[in-house]
Order: sequence, then structure tokens, then C-alpha cells
Amino acid sequence: MAVVDVDSAIAQGDPEKGPPAPGAAAAPGPARRRVWARRLQLGVPIGLIVLIVLACFLGPVIFDVPRPTNGDILESGLPMFSDGHLLGTDQNGNDILSRLLYGGRASLFIAVMVNLIGVVVGGGLGALSGQLGGAFDTVLMRILDVFIAFPSLVLTLAVAQSLGASVRNTIFALSFFSIPAVARISRSAVLRLRELPFMAAAELSGTPRWRVLLRHIAPNIGPQLLSFAMLNMGVVIIIEGALSFLGLGIPPPDPSWGNMIFDGQQSLTATPWLVVWPSIALMVTVISFNLLGENLRSLWSSR
Amino acid sequence: MTLASTPPRAAALTWLSGAWAGVSSSPILRIIIKRLLMAIPIMLGVSILTFWVLASIPGNAAQLQLGINATPEQIATLEKQLGLDQPAIQRYLDWLGGLLTGDLGRSSVSSQPVTSLIADRLPVSAELVGLAFVLSLAVSIPVALVSARRPGGIIDRIAMVIAATGQSIANYVLALLLVLIFAVKAGVLPAIGFTPISEDLGENLKGMVLPTLALAFPLMCFYTRFLRSDLVDQLQREDYVDTARAKGAGPWRVLLRHAFRNSSFGLITLVGLNVSVLIGVTVITEQIFAMPGLGQLLLQGINTRDFVVVQDLVILFAAITVVVNLIVDLLYVILDPRIRYGSR
Amino acid sequence: MSADPALTDVRPADAPAGGTGPADAPTASPGTAPGAPLLSVRDLRVMFTRPGGGRVFAVNGLSYELRAGRMLAIIGESGSGKSVSSRAIMGLLPPSATVTGSIRLDGTEIVGMPERRLRQLRGTQVAMIFQDPTRSLNPTMRIGLQITEAIHLHNKIDKKAARARAIELLKLVRLPAAERRFHDYPHQLSGGMRQRVMIAIALACNPKLLIADEATTALDVTTQAQIMELLVDLREQLGMAVIMISHDLGLAASYAQDVVVMYAGKAVEQAPAEKLFARVRMPYTRALLGAIPRLDATPHSLLPVIGGQPPNLSVMPTSCPFRPRCPVASDQCAEIPPLLEHEPEHRWACWHPDGPGAADQAAPVAAAGAGGAAGPAVASAQPPAAAGAKTLTTPGRAGSATGQGER
Repeated sequence: MAVVDVDSAIAQGDPEKGPPAPGAAAAPGPARRRVWARRLQLGVPIGLIVLIVLACFLGPVIFDVPRPTNGDILESGLPMFSDGHLLGTDQNGNDILSRLLYGGRASLFIAVMVNLIGVVVGGGLGALSGQLGGAFDTVLMRILDVFIAFPSLVLTLAVAQSLGASVRNTIFALSFFSIPAVARISRSAVLRLRELPFMAAAELSGTPRWRVLLRHIAPNIGPQLLSFAMLNMGVVIIIEGALSFLGLGIPPPDPSWGNMIFDGQQSLTATPWLVVWPSIALMVTVISFNLLGENLRSLWSSR
Repeated sequence: MTLASTPPRAAALTWLSGAWAGVSSSPILRIIIKRLLMAIPIMLGVSILTFWVLASIPGNAAQLQLGINATPEQIATLEKQLGLDQPAIQRYLDWLGGLLTGDLGRSSVSSQPVTSLIADRLPVSAELVGLAFVLSLAVSIPVALVSARRPGGIIDRIAMVIAATGQSIANYVLALLLVLIFAVKAGVLPAIGFTPISEDLGENLKGMVLPTLALAFPLMCFYTRFLRSDLVDQLQREDYVDTARAKGAGPWRVLLRHAFRNSSFGLITLVGLNVSVLIGVTVITEQIFAMPGLGQLLLQGINTRDFVVVQDLVILFAAITVVVNLIVDLLYVILDPRIRYGSR
Repeated sequence: MSADPALTDVRPADAPAGGTGPADAPTASPGTAPGAPLLSVRDLRVMFTRPGGGRVFAVNGLSYELRAGRMLAIIGESGSGKSVSSRAIMGLLPPSATVTGSIRLDGTEIVGMPERRLRQLRGTQVAMIFQDPTRSLNPTMRIGLQITEAIHLHNKIDKKAARARAIELLKLVRLPAAERRFHDYPHQLSGGMRQRVMIAIALACNPKLLIADEATTALDVTTQAQIMELLVDLREQLGMAVIMISHDLGLAASYAQDVVVMYAGKAVEQAPAEKLFARVRMPYTRALLGAIPRLDATPHSLLPVIGGQPPNLSVMPTSCPFRPRCPVASDQCAEIPPLLEHEPEHRWACWHPDGPGAADQAAPVAAAGAGGAAGPAVASAQPPAAAGAKTLTTPGRAGSATGQGER
């Protein structure tokens, strides 16, 4: 592509938006810095996420980390940089660093599973609904309306309560509100896509519906769903924390960032770091996923 | 943003609106009636879902109240007393019938009428949500306007970094952080508790500061980012902005008189979509600050298997969501002449 | 660089405005033209810096002049720089644009003018209407308010007077039932009516120059003609100058007195309308004319198109930008042809122009040498008055007919 559209160049008032023009001559100096800034926009969050994932899943394997549960009660409440306990211990003598890492495993696993279910089930249902239309679409949308009018946290609480607290049930409960959200997005994306001529061309040339769905729709709405899933990772991690915080998520003594914050809250005055550490872990993870999701979105939307 | 989801309800009810077009000439009335009609199946669905989910929770209020040492006869008696011995369908229909006649039933635990329980708690939650909502808009609108005035400028950059961070903070983390700083370290504000307005306005507001901040901050970050990016979009892409500038209008005039009015639609939509999330966040905030609001009532209800209370609250929350979205639609009508004059 | 007032005056000053003077009117000699032109654009350059660091050279040394009361058509494909150059007159370019050169409006330099002063100029000196009247009116404001806003911005008058003025304007642009329409929203009007409202807004503070940026492109043909007639009438009635920007040479032929054809950010041919259409010289202009579908064409024949790609604006051209698409291009076209007044009032930038003298065209230029003092002493058809042809290119290139002036 060699042509640079002047009209779109006019619209490009905001230096933060839009990709570099493919045919544009790369100018030296500040321009190159901007290209680098663009790469960092994806690089930094991806790097952070990789770091967090490695630390949580490989860290306890490679390094000799104390067990997250069944700590020695004699070692309770140790301060930071204690011997063998880098971040100290909690009221039960469990190593905080170890609990952070194992808690992260649970949070990340749950968030990934919930979003996977959301994208596969919700994305599939939404795309099908948009593609088929008719009664299927109407009924599905009515059901989603109910879920959307339903206060999501209340629903999650009730489901968690009725099924009991466990990792599996938490995933199930949280899926209740990731599926409708993804379904709506994918449905409206499909409806927008159907307006485009190539879709009509595919349909008119007799391509079977399932093939249209797989070959034309899935690759087109995929990026949108992926960036939503990244943004949603942060939301799920926060809500999973809230469930644990309310005592309905991962059952103690197994660690999760949410129940660590809850445990720490009880002695907030005396040992604030019990709250501070998991809070920081939670925040950095959520910010990383949010950054990645948003930068992916702006990258794709400006393409 | 995925906020611009098209309301599919419109399509399904075209025939209805067609019938109404002849009957009612006022678009506002039409929208109200249309929305209320659409709310019926939604509320019915919510009631069924609520009842079904709660009925599948093991244990009931009778068992929980009498403890593990109770004899089966004792439990059976109390169950009969509370009406829990009836089949689920019967209980659902009784409850639904009560709702329709304005009778919300009685708590299985305290046997107080749920209406009075809600009436006691509602002012607390309403004050919290109202303050947080007003605060978040009062901050986010000016900040977004100033940021959009010079996109990429120093104010914009700082505001956007703060907003991006604030949006990523879990509400309960922020709440504890605020307690840690202002109540524990500085000691200037109470950490928990609630003083009714009727007792002491000053104490009431003092106790409200931290919960309101905890609730409002993520909200205001969200609104600021959305409004700012929508304003920048309007300024860069819309021709009417060029027209205004070509008249000789200054940047503030273009922003306030022209771009903001058009951006406000997006913001209103966002607020409407956000209600159910806001309700959930309020429940947690009330729990952290030990505020006797609806959220606390709900959590207590779940823990004591006081299902009538929980069902009523969920219906109330869903109704609030529906009503807020109705108000959003009406605001659209008031703000957007294209709808008001029925051409869209 | 001081302006030579008659340098780019494409029409003799004493020609009746709007009239069709004889095509061979005697050229006014430099310096004797009474009164300075209303608008004088000199070596205008606009460069955009793209977010990725790339650059777009949208306007590359454009010069023209416009007298009060005349209509100038700037013609070109999208991306030729026609819109960008006119937005520069309004100071309406985004911050990513770098503007150099000179734009003098009624003696005031606009390039580099601070925003605050530009704002006073917009509406009162120069106004603009845009392509799509559906999008260029604020959908949430009543049209009356959008007009009175323009009035209030520059005049200290009360609401009642502003309202009266707005209705007067709506009548001026021949909007039916002006009093009633005053309270309408844009969506309640038809496309043509909306464009009339846009014109009313533009005229609110009696600008001396009105820029119509593809103002009729989005309208159907009948409405298009009505709007153009309205613009012509208003120009005569109010004595203002009009720049119409279009891709439609036919429109220019029907309504404009002066024509500038732009390609790749430069003027490639420039003349009074009747002269230009009597004899199109530049192959690009000819191609544009050829690209208009004709009723007398053989049925079912292919529509004529200009082959090849529009120019790449991300690099400064080093050869004639039209060369890759030009049917008569030669090795000589590796040099940028300067825009010279080869015939009285008729300038073009081409080594191989159509028409008589075409074969000789290259010769004097090639012989002119680096000094180029003699200018292109164009062959037999040229009256002596035009012997000292003047260039319209950059100062650096001025007089250098060899095209080596590219910096």
C-alpha cells in the first residue's frame, strides 16, 4: 500500500491513536521513539503477565518455598525479611510469599477458565444467535436480558452459596455473568458483520451456514472477543477476590488473594502488610490485563 | 467499548410500537409504556431464576435456626409454621402472588414484614449510592473536559494514568486502603459504622466519606476515561465541530456547547449499563464499612437462608435496574431531538 | 518574499465579474492592476506528521490569487491537497499539520497567526461550508440557534436582533418558511435545506471569502444545481469571493470564473475557466475531463478512468508526480516541470502539453539553462506580452526552468 489518504491524516490529530502508516517514510528521532512507545504498549503488559504467571506457576517449583498452609503457629506474625520468610508470615504462621504465589495460581486459573468458557460458550451462542436470527435469537436475547437485569454479584453469591465454596464452583458461578456479556458482544459484532458485502456474497454463493460461521465470522470477531476477554480477566480476578473476601470463594485454609485480604482485614491495625501484599499482587495483575486488553483493542480498532 | 449494544427488544416489539403509533402521539409516553411492557418478561425471568437458584441451596431457615440438635419433629413444625413444607412451585406462586398485591412477605428469621426491613435499610444504601454517583459525575465531567481540551497534554496524561489505575483497583482493596490511611494512620475519620441523618448530620456525613470515596473512585475513573475518549472522538471526527470552529467558536465553547452535548448520550448509556455492577459493589462496600444497608440485609439473608428476604431484594435490584434504564431512555428522548420527533 | 500583486492574477482586473470576457483579453502588465487581490496564497506547504513518525506532504508549494467577487474552482482527486489547502486558509488544520508559505487575506498574513486572532477572522473574513450537510450541522441544536451562535460570536447584539438577522439570512438562502424553520432541528430538513442552513451560518457575519468544500457532492443533481445557483447569486449580491472545491470539472466549467487544477499537492494547470476549457493543456486535466461519463458515448462502452495509482504523498516527488500515469510521459519528465505562464493567464506544469506548440514546448526550456532568465519563450502561438513568463513555484525554484530547484 503506497497511498496515504490525506483525509485520514487530517483526522489523526491525536498522536496516541492510529497505527503508523504502512507506506509512510519512517522519520528519525522522536518518530522512532514513538514507534518504540507503540511496541512497549503491548510489550510491558505482556511482560508483566508472563512474569506473574511464571512466578505463580513455576516459582514454587524452582525455588524452595515454604508450604502455603499448615504453617507453624510458633512462627506466626513474623515481619518482613525474616529468616526463610521473605515477606514474613501471617497469624497462622504461613509464609506470605508462598500464599501469594499459590493464591495467584488459583486466581489466574479461575480467571482463565471463566473467560475461556465465556468466549467459547458465550461467543458461540452470540454468533449463532446473530447468524440464525429468528426465534432462536429472540429467545436467547430475552434470557440474556434477564441475566443482565439480574445484579451479577448477587447471582454469583447465590450460586456460590448453593453449590458450596470450591474452585470448580467458583468458575461455574462466575461463568454466569461472563457468558451473557460475551454473547451480547459477539452477537452485535456478527450483526454488524452481516451488513458487509462479503457476507452477503458468501451467503448468496451457497456457502453452508456453519462454514460461514467458521470461515468468515469467527476470524472477524475473534480479535474483538480476545481483547474483551483480556479486559474481563481483570474483572473476573476482582470478583473472584470479592467472593473469597465474602467467604464464598476459595475455602480457607487454601490461599487466594481475596481471602488473604479478608484475613488481613481483621488485623488491619496491627499488621497492615497482610492486606497490602495481596492487594498489590491483585492490582498489578489487573492493571496488566486491562492495559493489554485496551492496547489490543485500540490496535485492532485502528487497523 | 462494547457499550453500544443494540437493544434487541426493539425489533421483537415492533408490532407493538406500530400499534401504539396510532394510539399515542407522545413519544415519551410511548417509550414508557413500551419499556414497562418489556420489563414484564424480564422481571418474571428474574423471579424464576432467583427462586430456582435459592431453592437449590442446601438447608433452610428452619434447620439453621434450630441447629443440629433439633429433632425432625421440631424442624417439621417450624417448617410448617414458616410455610417451608409446601412444594417449591406452590411457594413460588404464593410469593409471586404476594409481590403482585404488594405483599413482600415476612422474614423467616425475624418474622418481620420484609417491607419494613427494606424501608429501614433503604435510606442508608440510597444515601451511599446517591453521594457516590453525584461525586463521580461531579469529578469526572470536568476532568474529562479539561483532558479532551488538549489530548496528549500534561493534564490529560496525568488524568488518564490515574484513571487507568483507579479503574483497575478492586473496590474492596481501595476501601481497606482508605481505612488504613484515614482511619488507622491519620485517625481523622471513622472506619466503620453509620449514624442516621436524623441523629446528627455532621456525624452522618463524616461516616459517609470513606464508603463514598471507595464506591465513587473506580466509577469516576471509568466515567472520566469514557467521556474523555468520546469527546476526543467527537472533536476529531465530527463535521459539526468543524462548523462550530469555522464560525469562530473558541475551544471551550466547541467542547461545552457542541461536543459535550453529543457525548452525553454515551455517558448516559454507560451509567445505565453500570447499575447492576454498582449494586454489587455497594453490597461489598456496605459489608466492609459495616453499614446497615440493603447489602448487609442481603448477605445476612443468604447466610441465614432467609430466602424470602433475598428474593425480594433481588427483585428490588432488578426493578431498580429496569427503572434506571427506563430513565436513561427518557433522557435520550429529552436530549436527542431525533428521537423526540420520532424520526429514529 | 514580497508579493508581486499581478503575479498570479489569472484574470484582468477590469474584466466584469461573472461576465464572460473575451478569451484573448490583453494581459494586465505587472504592477498596474488596481487594488490588491483579496486572497493571495504563495508557496503554501502543508505537511502532516503521522503518529508512527511518517510524513504526508499534502500541499507542496501552492500559489494562487483571488480577487473579491470572483469564484475560483479548485479541482482535483481526493488526496490532491485541495481541501487541506483551503482548511489552511481557515486555520482549521489539526495540530499534526505543519504549514509554511504565505496566505494573505485582505492584506493580513494567516500562516502563523495565533489561534485567538484566527478565531476573530473565522466567520467574519472567511467562512466555510462542508461536504455533508447531514454531519456538519449539530444534530442536537435547533438550526436557529446554530445561526444566532455564529452572529453572537462576533457581534454584541441582543437575542431579538440576532433572531431577526438569522431569519433574514434564512430568507437570503431561500429557505422556505424561514420563521417556522428557525425552530427546527437539522434532521427535520432535507439535504438541500440543510446545506442552505450551512450557507446561512457561513454568511452570518458577512465574510469576504466563502469556501465551499465539495459543498454539493453529497446532494442529488437537481439540488446541486440549486445550491450552486444560490452560491453564484450570493456572490454577486454580496460581492464576496468564493472558492469552490470539487472533483467535478463540469461543475467548475459551469459556475467558476477561475480554475486551479491540483495534483499531488500542487497546481498543475491554472487559467480562467473559458481559457482552460477552450484548450486544456496538461494531460492530467485532459484525463480528468475524459473521465466524465458522456451521454453521447457509445452505449455499453467502458467508462473512461484514469489508470494507475494516485501519487504517494509520503515522499516528496522528485519527478513529475503524474509521470507514472501519464500517457505522454518521457525521460524528460524525471524533472519536475515548473508551473509557467505559457500563454496569457494560462499556466501549466508539463513538458508535453497538448495542443499547438506541444512539440516545441520542451525545446526552449531545455535551452534555457540554469539561469532560465529567458523563461519558456513559447512558440509561435504566444503573444509577446507573455514573453517574460513568470513561475509560480517556490522561491528556490523561481526562474529555474530546469526543474533543478528541488530542495
